[in-house]
Amino acid sequence: MVAKQVEAVDVIKMKKQFILLVISCIAFNVLFAQVDPAQSSYKKKVLETAEVDFLMSYYTQDGKHASVTGGIGNEKLTDMTPTIVVTIPLNVDDVLTVDAGISAYTSASSSNLDPFDASGASNGEGSDDDDRRVFASDAKGSPWVESSGASSKDVWTSINANYSHSSDDRNSIWTANVGFASEYDYSSIGFGGGFTKLFNEKNTEFGIKGQVYIDSWNPRYPTELDSYLEAGQNLNNGFFADIDILNQSGDIIDKDGVQVWSPLNTTLLNDKSRNSYSVSFSFSQILSKNAQFSIFFDLVQQKGWLANPMQRVYFADRSNYYVGNASSIDNYTSPRNTDVFQLADDLERLPTSRFKIPIGARLNYFINESVSLRTYYRYYFDDWGIKSHTVNLEVPIKFADGKFTLYPNYRFYNQNAADYFAPFESHSSSSKFYTSDYDLSKFDSHQYGLGFKYTDIFARLKVFKLGLKSVDLRYSIYNRSDGLDSNIVSAGIKFVLD
Amino acid sequence: MKKKIIVNAAIVICCTSCVAVKEYEKININDPDMNLSATSIKRFETNFQVYREGASGANGGKTGGGCGCN
Repeated sequence: MVAKQVEAVDVIKMKKQFILLVISCIAFNVLFAQVDPAQSSYKKKVLETAEVDFLMSYYTQDGKHASVTGGIGNEKLTDMTPTIVVTIPLNVDDVLTVDAGISAYTSASSSNLDPFDASGASNGEGSDDDDRRVFASDAKGSPWVESSGASSKDVWTSINANYSHSSDDRNSIWTANVGFASEYDYSSIGFGGGFTKLFNEKNTEFGIKGQVYIDSWNPRYPTELDSYLEAGQNLNNGFFADIDILNQSGDIIDKDGVQVWSPLNTTLLNDKSRNSYSVSFSFSQILSKNAQFSIFFDLVQQKGWLANPMQRVYFADRSNYYVGNASSIDNYTSPRNTDVFQLADDLERLPTSRFKIPIGARLNYFINESVSLRTYYRYYFDDWGIKSHTVNLEVPIKFADGKFTLYPNYRFYNQNAADYFAPFESHSSSSKFYTSDYDLSKFDSHQYGLGFKYTDIFARLKVFKLGLKSVDLRYSIYNRSDGLDSNIVSAGIKFVLD
Repeated sequence: MKKKIIVNAAIVICCTSCVAVKEYEKININDPDMNLSATSIKRFETNFQVYREGASGANGGKTGGGCGCN
């Protein structure tokens, strides 16, 4: 009996010891997993610390083919774009990037939505250029003179957020983004996602990305077209009541006569949406210790009102009518014309669908410690008849132990004209689609640039809690064969959080 | 002739890519100037080009949405 009791106590003790051993093992394993430095350091953070980029650009252009005035006129434009990009590591795998910026511009071409502002024919108050004309009888304007109405300047604002998640082995990356942009006649909501897969010891990379933009016009129209409809299509009413309209000979027309000005269409814009859907594929491959290349391929479908409701068109087969100084009509297409304006025949009209396919490739070669070669080529075609080639070459040159880099670069671009393009006074009014926007004309362009970069990989210079990592400066000149010339200065400062 | 060049180039690329470059051999490939995407500051140039040219895309920039451009 006693022996049985001792045996039972021994069994209970053994059970307790076994349970204790199991608990100890589990506890050890848990503890081991928590404190193992080798395992925790094995998974390196995708981004070690938060980064802040302050970016800025200043762009100017000048030309003689303003699209708002039907393919002739002053194209002067300035644009300043302060932008901030904050990149934050959320944990070892995830990164959030927030990108916010504005683009503040002044445009001579846009100002001529209401060309009669220059003469004080309207007081320019409010967002609508064609309100409250107080001296309409003095109305005069010119495609070559910048007007002063509300449409002469605007601010475009945008904010985007991008989230990325990397797998434990860093061979798979998922991304998602959402964004919003707005200006006075346009707003946009964008969202998308992507997936990137790395193979072959990270020598090969394949990516796919989808992007949707749901955009909407808040249309502004050339003032004479808008005013004509507001006045009930009667030239003795509203804005036109106190204005003399001239024919090609400079004679004042009888507004009740047979030969009077009227636009071709009285329907302006009947669809305010303008949506874009794109799928992008990318493939990159390391070729050797010194060379790698990538190929990009996009499929883009656009639907909605793809024409710009601000842009006038003048037909060759319709009579011309003017407002302003009769003696300047003969010089209408010359910059010497400062005081007569031709009334539009219509807005530009373009198909409500466009399918675009750009295919691009990059090849980068590391020549030596100081010099690399960056090359890019793109072939593009769409169902509006545009085909284009783009070539870009850049040769980064490092000096002072890599602290400084110079970036001389050159870009060549050419395109043929869209099927619907014709110059000022060249379209036929029987055409279904027409535009005189020279961005859709046949041209080639050359861009020459020089960049400069200062890099401090240790970010030793501190500003509060931010360490300066790099400073970028870039200047480029752009010459288009139709006479448009532009300059752009860009600057960027990157900080890392201490 | 063109076909021969393309075929030869494809063979060279395929053969080269069969030999993977190890992580410790990627010091030159990992140089920031060898990056296959455009630099952040270049976004402004890409942006005005999207407005001033009929073509867009395949360069990391916009393909037509988000602005009243082409």
